[in-house]
Amino acid sequence: MLAGISILCFAASYSVALALEASRLVFRSGVRGALLLGFAAAGLVAHTLYLAYRAATATATPLSSQFDWYLVAAWVLAATYLYLTVYHPRTAVGLFVLPLVLVLVAVADFFADQTPFPERRASQVWGAIHGVFVLLGTVAVMVGFVAGLMYLLEAYRLKHKRPPWQRLRLPSLEWLQHVNARAIVVSALMLAAGFVSGTVLNLVNHRLKVDELPWSDPVIWSSSLLLAWLAVAAVFGVVYRPARQGRKVAYLTVASFVFLVVALGLRWLLPSEHSPARAHAVSQAIDRDSVWAASPRPVGGAQKAPAGTGGAA
Amino acid sequence: MKYQMCGCSHHTAPIEVRGRLSFTADQARQALSGLRERFPATEAVVLSTCNRVEIYTAAEAAAAVPSHQEVAEFIADFHGVNLAEIFDDLFERTGEDVVRHLFHVAASLDSMVVGEPHIVAQVKQAYELACERQSNGPLTNQVFQTALRVAKRVATETTINEKRVSIPSVAIADFAKQIFQRFDDKHVLVIGAGEMAEESLRYLENEGVKSVTVVNRSLERAESLARQWRGTAAPWERLRGLLVEADVVISTTASGEPIVTRGDFARIEAARYQRPLFILDLAMPRDFDPAVGDCLGVYLYSIDDLREACERNRQEREREWPAALRIVEQETARFMAELNHRATGPIIKRLKSTWQQTKEDELRRLRNKLPGLDERQQAEIDQSFDRLINKLLHPPLESLRDEAQHGIPSALLEAFKRLFQLKD
Repeated sequence: MLAGISILCFAASYSVALALEASRLVFRSGVRGALLLGFAAAGLVAHTLYLAYRAATATATPLSSQFDWYLVAAWVLAATYLYLTVYHPRTAVGLFVLPLVLVLVAVADFFADQTPFPERRASQVWGAIHGVFVLLGTVAVMVGFVAGLMYLLEAYRLKHKRPPWQRLRLPSLEWLQHVNARAIVVSALMLAAGFVSGTVLNLVNHRLKVDELPWSDPVIWSSSLLLAWLAVAAVFGVVYRPARQGRKVAYLTVASFVFLVVALGLRWLLPSEHSPARAHAVSQAIDRDSVWAASPRPVGGAQKAPAGTGGAA
Repeated sequence: MKYQMCGCSHHTAPIEVRGRLSFTADQARQALSGLRERFPATEAVVLSTCNRVEIYTAAEAAAAVPSHQEVAEFIADFHGVNLAEIFDDLFERTGEDVVRHLFHVAASLDSMVVGEPHIVAQVKQAYELACERQSNGPLTNQVFQTALRVAKRVATETTINEKRVSIPSVAIADFAKQIFQRFDDKHVLVIGAGEMAEESLRYLENEGVKSVTVVNRSLERAESLARQWRGTAAPWERLRGLLVEADVVISTTASGEPIVTRGDFARIEAARYQRPLFILDLAMPRDFDPAVGDCLGVYLYSIDDLREACERNRQEREREWPAALRIVEQETARFMAELNHRATGPIIKRLKSTWQQTKEDELRRLRNKLPGLDERQQAEIDQSFDRLINKLLHPPLESLRDEAQHGIPSALLEAFKRLFQLKD
């Protein structure tokens, strides 16, 4: 039954939830809140089952492809949306969060590489740590972006003494500012952890002479650029007190998102070796070599044994 | 079945009288026990807020409900006041008017500031207190639970509770609450002692404000106001320093020229590190130079800025008012129809049981005369008799239901009793 769940199932649920959110702009309704929650929750359940099924039936490292990475990022963002909708039911947070969720799902479906990273004992642990931290950092940047956007809209209204948008109610500036400030710190910490674990992973691979990435790879330097920006933004907030307040912090989160989009865009635009497909090809080549090498030298051959045999480390 | 209400509200009594007659939570508990003791067959709920003191009573037997005079005497006795002194400040409602009035109150259509959201919680608390003291009953349960549902319906289907019309209420609800998430950790600075500052503080108090500082050119006056608002007084010379610490400023001096210019604020701005500041300038002419509003993190609103919003809200509320009243009328009619239909219940029950008895007697006689009937044939006959009774009863019961839409159908119930010889 789980095999029958497709991307369309949860994308459709999220789309209906987004349409319901958009209907706030047109009319009032007493049942919309319940319907919204219902569709968003149904989408999240389908999304969870889809990912669980993919993880359970994976032939290589579970959920390690770019495709899975985008879907897991969308899942975390959708879960955040559901949480916010439960605790702030009267605000139109979904109008800002759900489009990002749908974009991530669309990117996963149309552009992302579905080839998972090959399983290898050494890289499995560091690879998973690296992937999780980068993913959490990315989602934190997106949450900060959404909060920053809402902050700027609401601050504009308040500064220009405009009446509240009855059909587009947003959280208070204080709450949005709090989320913005947290998002910068959390994203900087997560991406730093992701960067460190990625470096360790590359050093391990270098020692094993497998899947080593050149330090000049576009993914590495664009991610470093993003991390550097977030670190500067976080430090700026610590040393310069006005940067913790108001529009400045909102601008910082919006700029962080621009950096993120650039960093992710570079992955597609520039040739990179940071791709599961390439790692897979290299892995197969290594496996062929090790089989070839193993037959005349059975003792030393264990050094390049295929993944999962226990000899890679 | 009878509902009654007796009490006073901001429509009928000045604040001093309302204050004398109001019940604290403990007093309301005592009052409920007292009512139970004095009128044992009566259900009672005491609703006491700063704008109203109302005692709702109800009983299945109309004679068991205390008269308005008796409830008024109870209120006067409880508070130890002379009834003659307060009698003209009281008002009363009976029957359907009680239901309609309670629905208006719960939906905040009868509030001093129409649409204010706290009244529904206060109605709920009053009802819960009655449940706690076991002074409630089926009639008060029904009317209070419906009132809470009506309030929710009005809030969901109209925007009446979102539209404020007084300047301080608009300033707090539409602007300050969109800047700050919470107010219990905010510092409020009141400059001057205008009337609107008091109203603004009342709204801020409702939002949880705990720290209030009053600055006035006369320290004595500042101290007097600070005592009244449970805040602290400060001398005028400390104004600049207090502006650095404040999150919310309400300014209502009678100064002929701005007390804070853009130049003055430059120094304050540097010390605030762009922390958000909500300034409500209620003075005429203005206390704050309008250019102060251009500073980062400062949200400055004057009477002129808010007057427009108030007027717009007033127009929108007028548009919403008929819709809110329509909901209350619909719900009152539905409630009364259900209540009246409930009054016909005992007669319907007796009528059905009489006919049921007749049916069983006839079936027994038939089975004795036709002993050869098998089970299937007996079942067919039973069903036919049931159908016959249902068809015969349907038109009179339908007429009874229709009549109950317009009140308790006493004449029809009497006719039923006589036609079908139904005994009490």
